[in-house]
Amino acid sequence: MSLTPYVPLVVLFGLATVFAVFSVTIGPYIGPRRINKAKLEAYECGIEPTPTPPGGSRFPVKFYLTAMLFIIFDIEIVFLYPWAVAFDSLGMFGFVEMLLFIVTVFVAYTYVWRRGGLDWD
Amino acid sequence: MTPEYYLVLAAVLFTIGAVGVLIRRNAIVVFMCVELMLNAANLTLVTFARINGSLDGQIMAFFVMVVAAAEVVVGLAIIMSIFRSRRSASVDDANLLKY
Amino acid sequence: MNDIQLPPIDYAALLPMLIVFGLACVGILAEAFVPRKHRFAVQATLTLAALIAGLVTVIINRDLEVTTIGGAVTIDGAGLFLQGIILVLGIVAFGLIAERRLERGGAFVANAAHAADSDGDKKQLNEAGATEIFPLTLFAIAGMMLFCVSGDLLTMFVALEVFSLPLYLMCGLARRRRLLSQESALKYFLLGAFASAFFLYGVALIYGYAGSVQLVAIKQSVLDSDKSGVLLAAGLALLAIGLLFKAAAVPFHVWTPDVYQGAPTPITALMAACVKAAAFGGLLRVFNVAFETTSWDWRPVITAVAMATMIVGSILAVTQTDIKRLLAYSSIANAGYLLVGVVSLGGAVGSSMFYLVAYGFSVLAAFGMVTLVRDADGEATHLSRWAGLGKGSPLFSAMFTIIMLGFAGIPLTSGFSSKFALFSSAWDANQSALVIVGVLSSVVLAFPYLKVVVLLWLNPPGDETPTVSVPGYLTRAVVGVGVLATIVLGVAPSWLLDMVNSAGTFLAK
Repeated sequence: MSLTPYVPLVVLFGLATVFAVFSVTIGPYIGPRRINKAKLEAYECGIEPTPTPPGGSRFPVKFYLTAMLFIIFDIEIVFLYPWAVAFDSLGMFGFVEMLLFIVTVFVAYTYVWRRGGLDWD
Repeated sequence: MTPEYYLVLAAVLFTIGAVGVLIRRNAIVVFMCVELMLNAANLTLVTFARINGSLDGQIMAFFVMVVAAAEVVVGLAIIMSIFRSRRSASVDDANLLKY
Repeated sequence: MNDIQLPPIDYAALLPMLIVFGLACVGILAEAFVPRKHRFAVQATLTLAALIAGLVTVIINRDLEVTTIGGAVTIDGAGLFLQGIILVLGIVAFGLIAERRLERGGAFVANAAHAADSDGDKKQLNEAGATEIFPLTLFAIAGMMLFCVSGDLLTMFVALEVFSLPLYLMCGLARRRRLLSQESALKYFLLGAFASAFFLYGVALIYGYAGSVQLVAIKQSVLDSDKSGVLLAAGLALLAIGLLFKAAAVPFHVWTPDVYQGAPTPITALMAACVKAAAFGGLLRVFNVAFETTSWDWRPVITAVAMATMIVGSILAVTQTDIKRLLAYSSIANAGYLLVGVVSLGGAVGSSMFYLVAYGFSVLAAFGMVTLVRDADGEATHLSRWAGLGKGSPLFSAMFTIIMLGFAGIPLTSGFSSKFALFSSAWDANQSALVIVGVLSSVVLAFPYLKVVVLLWLNPPGDETPTVSVPGYLTRAVVGVGVLATIVLGVAPSWLLDMVNSAGTFLAK
């Protein structure tokens, strides 16, 4: 069995490792250091890290909006998998069709972006 | 493992979802029960794809997942807007419309 | 790796739907980039252009008979005619949706996210309404067009959702009575999602039975298959629940009055005319193409549903005190008459389509006129408020009387000719019991309509009779077209009957 098809994969793993090690080690040396309170607190996705009252509490509607946008754009990816698997045999036709599909998703994305759906405040 | 078990499981899930829609009062829970029904249908599709030896059922499951996600987004938007007006997601409170 | 055989795609046949879907996407881009003050003009032009271009391409395609995209879409005479109906009625409904003269900023709220009666909600009462309504309308109409020509059940499911999801949202966008509107959106959504889950599970079971979801393949496997018929029967039952829900047949009708009352009136008009056409287009196609050979199994059930729909719809219409609810129950009863056409199969397809055209025009005009009767709080829909309108607004009352007489099935109106055509084709198909129930229930149903007419002309006006607003051009055109169609299709129906009868076949191969 020839291992040639796996060579790019191994190269990719190598590159990823190099990049990860590089980013982690270089950070403390060249990055600016500013200490503030938020950095010392527990990370809770932007919510004030206070203990929630019994029975649960409300949190801003912005989280729901972001979650909903995530769901809808995330699930569109599901169509890319079968296309990627059959990419070779689908050829140009499949590529163009997929491009059109992504364009329609992009139309929705532009609307969300222009309407401020991606702004936090 | 015979695939029939999955069909039975799907039927059970579908029934649980349908009963949930009928007896639960919170709009979010009702909606989750609808999602359960959709996923039961998905399981049935995939199982039949296996039994029939064709891929169609799996592809259909993809489409259903995407449609279900779109439905979630529209549904949550509607439920959220009524919740903000009423401070309640109970379907019993939404009772202004009757003759 | 094996080469995948790509299905041939007949772009010309798909062009009407591609145009409407494509311009709906352009509409979303316009919503994102066009400055606010030009948005309304741009969106309205775009929507009208899309609908007209769609209609023109449907007319150009009129003789086409083709199955394309690997059987997902079947373009045939009946399918094209249904697409044409949906587009024509959509263009007329567009007039109501785009009307901005009756109420400052149109019938739709500017920002639906504000909680009802909050400060933000009060402030936006006089702001221009949301223009998203136009792309949503286009998506809904394109979905309905696809629904009528779906060649397999998966495409049908996707199309069902494509036209339902925008409608759920549009129901919640009424400018006045926000809570009622939101409530109707919630009810429509939850029940609609429930029904589409049934539809989907039915599709899954039929897939298990037939090994395919293509309508023609299902028909073939019904003839050949040695599998147990239980799967098929259960699948068909669940599938029918999903379809009958959209068609508002008893016992799946409970959402109809609430949604019709709470939704903004232009959207109610769109639902009553176009969704009815699409739902029955789908029902007719499924039963005529895939399940014609199993008609012994489903006919008794659908017959019972049709009878229940006609009886319940017409009896409950008598007790209504709100004009929008009255029209909703009348639309339920009309769904019953259309189900008679479904039960009668092949021979009644043409007359069912004729009925859809006639009913669609009348109901658009009726809801168009409902938007005109207003007081300080918006539309005055309670029937007691309509008493004595004939004194102050004779033209309005005369037109409403024509529409009501049309619904009641008085000769020389479209209501008579369409019921006559439908019932006589059902009689030819040996559905005499259904025809008798249909005729009797339409006698009962005439009563509430005539009650409204009496109310308009003979009752003394109350203390606070609302005024009939002077309509803008668009509403004027909608009402005019609706009333004209009600009369023309009643006096001279033969040309359209010829047209539906020559178009009225589904491609079943």
